Amino acid sequence: MASTRGLDRGRVDADAVEAAFAEDLAAFVRLQQKSGLDVFSDGLLRWQDIFRPLVDALGAAKPESLVRWFDTNTFFREPELSGALAGVNHADGLLPDASVPRPRVATLPSPFMFSRAARTDRDRNQLMVDLAGTVLRPVVDAAVAAGCQLVHLEDPWIGYFGIESKDWAPLREALELLHRDLRATLAFHVYFGDAGPHVDQLRRLPVDAIGVDLVETDVNELGSGWDKGLVAGVIDGRSSMLESLENTVEVARHLADTVRPRNLYLSSNCELAFLPTVVAEQKVQRLGEAAKRVKQLVSV
Amino acid sequence: MSVDLDHKPLLTHEIGSLDKPGWRVKAYAGQPLSDRDLEEARAWGERLKVPDYERLIDLLRHAPFSKEQKSDLQRWSSLYALKLEEGAGLDVVYDGEQQRTEMYDWAVSHSDGFERRGSVRAFDNKYYTKAAVVAPISLRTPFHNAEFSYLVSVADAELKIPVTGAYTIADWSFDERYDVDTDLREPAADRRRKRKAARRDFVLEIARNLIRPNLMALIGLGARWIQVDEPGASTEPDELDLFVDSFNASVEGLNAMFSTHLCFSDYNLFFPAIERMSQCRQFAVGFANYDSRELGTTDQARPGYHVIKKFADLPYKPALGLGVLDIHSDFIESPELVRDRVLYAVNVFGDPARIHVTPDCGLRTRSWEVAFKKLRNMTAGVALARQELGLKDPAR
Repeated sequence: MASTRGLDRGRVDADAVEAAFAEDLAAFVRLQQKSGLDVFSDGLLRWQDIFRPLVDALGAAKPESLVRWFDTNTFFREPELSGALAGVNHADGLLPDASVPRPRVATLPSPFMFSRAARTDRDRNQLMVDLAGTVLRPVVDAAVAAGCQLVHLEDPWIGYFGIESKDWAPLREALELLHRDLRATLAFHVYFGDAGPHVDQLRRLPVDAIGVDLVETDVNELGSGWDKGLVAGVIDGRSSMLESLENTVEVARHLADTVRPRNLYLSSNCELAFLPTVVAEQKVQRLGEAAKRVKQLVSV
Repeated sequence: MSVDLDHKPLLTHEIGSLDKPGWRVKAYAGQPLSDRDLEEARAWGERLKVPDYERLIDLLRHAPFSKEQKSDLQRWSSLYALKLEEGAGLDVVYDGEQQRTEMYDWAVSHSDGFERRGSVRAFDNKYYTKAAVVAPISLRTPFHNAEFSYLVSVADAELKIPVTGAYTIADWSFDERYDVDTDLREPAADRRRKRKAARRDFVLEIARNLIRPNLMALIGLGARWIQVDEPGASTEPDELDLFVDSFNASVEGLNAMFSTHLCFSDYNLFFPAIERMSQCRQFAVGFANYDSRELGTTDQARPGYHVIKKFADLPYKPALGLGVLDIHSDFIESPELVRDRVLYAVNVFGDPARIHVTPDCGLRTRSWEVAFKKLRNMTAGVALARQELGLKDPAR
């Protein structure tokens, strides 16, 4: 933080910022390893928002307008995606650093959210399909080639604003472009809202796992007998209160017993960027503890 | 300042923050000062005609600084920022919040009931420090009195004091006191209901026990215009009534002119809730961030300003602090662009007395050079608008 802020003000040079990033990433990797996580993230530490490196790689107009990120005190630069989309022309900054252990997770905006958050003069569903095929798929392929076994698509838009019934078919089309012949697990994660009303449609999406925000969603609304994985957002990325280990384990057990997903992934309900580092670290550790306990229980 | 200040046509003012000069930041942090820092202090002192600025240069040459000297440096920084705003020709000024750490942190660190938790990103490489409420909230000591008393003694122009509002403080804080039940096995609807009730208690406690006594202290010192900053007001669209209740609980019955600052939101969300905010005599709102940079005074030319009609129709007829400068960009708005934004608003309101002219928000993310140019062009643009409207130049 201090380095990037200093760089903006001309008080720190680029080398110092690089060193600070490397140090922070190393610390985050150590934390994930120590916590016993199964899939490793680079924490998107260099991403100023979820769209920025993609917009840069597209060579699109530099985004200017700041827009509130849902109901948080965080803002993103609104991507300007009018006219025809060019393909991504580089993957700089889009893939996890080589120092991140494998298996890795690649986190990207869902094509639905990307198409809704952008400023555009185009039909948003057509833009969504184009984003999936032209922008996200090449990045996903590059990520898989770089050791990502899990591709995690973030979609707070559906959770927060909802989705019209006519938009599900184009969304399935867009996700099919990402899922076809993909040699990694594709997860679609709805958060910042109640996924309950959308569960039936979500389960029909061509992805391997569905993520839900359990701070906002009733566990009893998820149904049962899933033929997909469930990314269970059991750690609240917007609260500084540390979750009870017992409660978290109980919820995970309940999900395993009733929803019976093909795979159960324990996760935070949203990104952890809304938490100070110290708090986020405690949450990652708690996540690891909970996963370890649940695995023990399941293996008994 | 007269109580009818809110009816001064096309009055200009800044919103709140300005960047802190390098010499002020380094000196306060105990870091060595470079020749460049001293030159910055000298050049701006000369440019802004800061009285006796040579004394500052002399002081800066005598590091390390005692606690008293650091306080003195903060006052110098306040004086420089005040003179920057006066030099840009603003009608109403303050000090760019030079003596505060930051709008949120300054408030909670002078209050009982909060503990700091650390920093998070707001946007780009900008961060803010968050605290958690952990105990009953109260005002430890009035936390704007010292700066206000100093500014009264050195300002030539009128003063407006920016004060962070209750809703924003709550929204930017973690809650470790009111809503601590996180059992995900409970029905989600029950959890949501408890969360909302807890939030209401939290916000109103800040309004009553923190903001209101602080405002009373400022009024006791002679403050006549207090701007309650609420950049977080529309964060939760279903809590706008709570935001309004917190504003009213903060100011009800107090004798001063109160305004509020809103920014970076879908402003449509504020209606109809703010129809109940009749003690708010001005809404200072950021629009330029959403607007075109092309000239023109038609609806088509001014897409960022369409919502102002709703502010015009408020039954208690407050003024609108019209944000005409994008504070997230180094783009320098031309006087002509400012003029056209102002003329568009005057046409919608049908009354220039209800239009004040401001940046979208505090300018702390811009360099002083950029901020000064933007503000000068803003006042130049207002002069063009006055000319167009046949208004006389206001007497200070």
